[in-house]
Amino acid sequence: MRAEWAKQLSRAFLLLLGVVVVLPALAHGERNQEPFLRMRTAHFYDVKWSADKIAVNDEVVVTGRFRLFEDWPMNLPQPDRVFVGNGTPGPVLARTESYLNGHAAIQSGKLMLDRDYEFKTVLKGRIPGRHHVHPMVNVEGAGPLLGPGSWVEISGDHRDFKLPLTTLDGTKIEDLETWGVANVVRWEGFWLLTALVFAGWWLRRPLLMTRYRALHEGHEAALVTRGDRLWAAAFLTGTVLTVFAGAHWAENRYPRTIPLQAGQFRIDPLPKDEHEINIQVKRATYDVPGRSMKMTLVIHNPLPHPVQMGEFMTAGLRFVNHELPAAMAQVDARYPAELLPRTGLTLHDKAPIAPGETRTVNIEATDAVWETERLTSLLTDPDNRVGGLLFFFDDAGERHIANLSGAIVPVFIGS
Amino acid sequence: MTKPQPASLFSTQDYSTRAFISWRGVVLGVVGVFCLMLAYRFYQQVFGWSAGLDATAPAFDTYWMNLLKAELVILTASWAGLWSWLWVTRDRQMSQLAPREEIRRYVNLIFFILVYAFAVYFTGSFFAEQDASWHQTVVRDTSFTPSHIVLFYGTMPLFVLFGVGSLLYAMTRLPKFAERLSLPFMLAVGGPFLILPNLGYNEWGHAFWLMEEYFSAPLHWGFVVLGWSVLALGGLLVQILQHLLDAIRRAEIEAAAQHISAA
Amino acid sequence: MTAPNKPPAEGDFVDIYGVRWSRWAAQLSARLDVIISIIIALAVTAAFHLHFQLLAGDWDFWVDWKDRQYWVTLTPIVAITFPAALQYVLWEKFRIPLGATLSITCLMVGAWIARIFGFHLWSYFPFSLIWPVLMIPGALVLDCVLVLTGNFFFTAVIGGMGFAVLFYPSNWPMLAAYRLPVEIMGTLVSVGDYIGYTFTRTATPEYLRFIERGTLRTFGGHSAWVASAFSGFVCVLTYLLWWHIGMLLSKVTTLPNRWRSMFGMAPDQTAATAPVESHDAR
Repeated sequence: MRAEWAKQLSRAFLLLLGVVVVLPALAHGERNQEPFLRMRTAHFYDVKWSADKIAVNDEVVVTGRFRLFEDWPMNLPQPDRVFVGNGTPGPVLARTESYLNGHAAIQSGKLMLDRDYEFKTVLKGRIPGRHHVHPMVNVEGAGPLLGPGSWVEISGDHRDFKLPLTTLDGTKIEDLETWGVANVVRWEGFWLLTALVFAGWWLRRPLLMTRYRALHEGHEAALVTRGDRLWAAAFLTGTVLTVFAGAHWAENRYPRTIPLQAGQFRIDPLPKDEHEINIQVKRATYDVPGRSMKMTLVIHNPLPHPVQMGEFMTAGLRFVNHELPAAMAQVDARYPAELLPRTGLTLHDKAPIAPGETRTVNIEATDAVWETERLTSLLTDPDNRVGGLLFFFDDAGERHIANLSGAIVPVFIGS
Repeated sequence: MTKPQPASLFSTQDYSTRAFISWRGVVLGVVGVFCLMLAYRFYQQVFGWSAGLDATAPAFDTYWMNLLKAELVILTASWAGLWSWLWVTRDRQMSQLAPREEIRRYVNLIFFILVYAFAVYFTGSFFAEQDASWHQTVVRDTSFTPSHIVLFYGTMPLFVLFGVGSLLYAMTRLPKFAERLSLPFMLAVGGPFLILPNLGYNEWGHAFWLMEEYFSAPLHWGFVVLGWSVLALGGLLVQILQHLLDAIRRAEIEAAAQHISAA
Repeated sequence: MTAPNKPPAEGDFVDIYGVRWSRWAAQLSARLDVIISIIIALAVTAAFHLHFQLLAGDWDFWVDWKDRQYWVTLTPIVAITFPAALQYVLWEKFRIPLGATLSITCLMVGAWIARIFGFHLWSYFPFSLIWPVLMIPGALVLDCVLVLTGNFFFTAVIGGMGFAVLFYPSNWPMLAAYRLPVEIMGTLVSVGDYIGYTFTRTATPEYLRFIERGTLRTFGGHSAWVASAFSGFVCVLTYLLWWHIGMLLSKVTTLPNRWRSMFGMAPDQTAATAPVESHDAR
């Protein structure tokens, strides 16, 4: 009867286990991050993932750029300390390298607003499964700022994962996951046993009520004996000697050690264009029932070439002008389809903007993705401002990036 | 010819430990709590990463928000159920309690506190530190995370159930606890209970002030201070031992009186 | 206690620590010793672990937080608290010198269980990143000094200093392997830094580490010893404070229950015996 019950329970557990294979691992919490965080902090663009299916120990390289937005939210601290992270569900991939503008990004450092940085992160597959992988920067006081995420499937067995390393003093580490662990277990195990032996001297005798009553009735001498004191003296001496012997052993075993390295990087941003297209938001609305963001922009082109608007990007969403080949060429095949609204960017005036010209242009970005990405919760924010990047392309196919930011007003009655 | 041994002073009634210790309740409590914690942990393993990362996703609602709702209903119902049962079945003739029965009830109280301590262990140690491993890894996007749903809204109400239950048991079945309010007992139960309202302060801080996840933030110090109140179990231990010694003394006097009248 | 003119039967009573106990009471007491010890272990693990993880936990969780300054200073100060309080209760009430060893061992067991089931099995962190700190040697010193001196003040001064000063050398046999120098991307880092960097903690970036980021004078690189000495001083004070917190929390204080009649005690009746005298003088 009991054996049957246990069998049934095991089957139920196994069934539940099986469910985890069927259930896809979901995206991160970026959808519930406030719109001001996603639209007005770090804008990631040109993001590429080198693979979407790898095996354990294989690499996936995430590259791209980000701009720290000029219209940085006033309720967030400035990016005085930034770390180039990676948005993965923990160490399911091991980050082996990361670079910012070609420099090592293992430390944190100060970055500048309204400047662009190029990042590269090398990740090694570690835990099999389907994982959402984002580029990310952490800004002190502002928290994690996630870029767009793409699914990476890792196959194989996590027990095959190895991360070897050779130190500067020639020590060969087979696998960083297990380095030093056997020593930790042995040393801590030894002391745990010592503690139990020490305690056993008292635990073997009657303990609580008996000692309480004896103490209360004046029999202290029976409770603290010469044997107790000798036991304590032995353990005191032995403990101190063993600790210092252990430390001495460690000094001899590892004579060349350094403290934790905690410096900061100094990395210059990418060069800025001498002249930038200037955007003023004359009016921006979000049509709630129509799921459409409509903007009237005053665009000034100071460049010596005519330019056409190719893309409006915000919070990782890319509204691309499908009628501009140069813009379409920028869309990488692996870019997450759910972040590329099919309708794209609608321009009411498609003619190029001449050099030196200032023109008022109406644009629309319409798609249900505004809701699925929860960006419409901007309505619940005490600071209703829209932010994003506009990508322009000149007649030579060169790209020029401009900042877009302004107040936005919701429209509840269909326009 | 050897002298006949006098009859034992304690032969008129059963003074074996069996007469004072009933294991059924505590085994049920400990095994029940353990199975629940195992189930919680297993649930987190299966549905944490797969359905718990995105609070906007339907799967999150299915596997986590439904669990939260079930917990709130079941655990508050269990509070009402156990505590009202303890009250309704209280001993209305406590001042006539026989010392042997009183000893037996003290043992029951100790067992009740054992189940309480077991539940508190899973809350304060096991699931609390596990909370760090979740929040320092994922991007927090809701107050109701897979870790919090188990820790704050599952294990905490559970230990409150047993904590208040043990206090009520003592006050409704043991004369000394009915006659006078025990401050260490109330502190050992009330302090951890206040962790529940402190959750509100914690979530307020995380929502409005703290974007980074580290455990040693001053925001969490409320939990630290309230956790100290568990040390009041030391005072309760001393109090229970004092009462037990007194009850044993009275039981021995009673045994002697019965021995005389039986002779 | 025995009937007049009737001697007790052999085996009715036993002598424990110079006090006569009825055998059945001694047997019951022995059972309760086991049960109550389990309660104490569970409660101490829960309370001490919660206290420790929320005050010094970040340094304890990660190998790349275990620096020579903040970790070495803060951990002993945070960790000497419960040993002091428990030493009061166990020594003053029972003359059991296990307050420190018990609390630190419970903390260590609780921490390991949490690391295995939480940090490793749930969040996939390797043990090289998450092994918990060792403080048993310092705890043994605290308990031994208490037995040898029988005095809380000497225990505070000698034991408290010892607890802090032994902390770093106790852990160095484990930590040294993680402080080997390695070159990564043209930058010098320690093996521990690289382990922390590689096994990503998405919401816990590098700058969050509250660690030594340069000292004005490191006395030839002896930050750890300076930090230990300072920690020792504060540990002495912390011990004295927490000994008294232990005293406060273990005080048996009762208040009259105005609703006693609702609880089954008639207003004109009292408990079967006179109230037991409080033993708070000890």
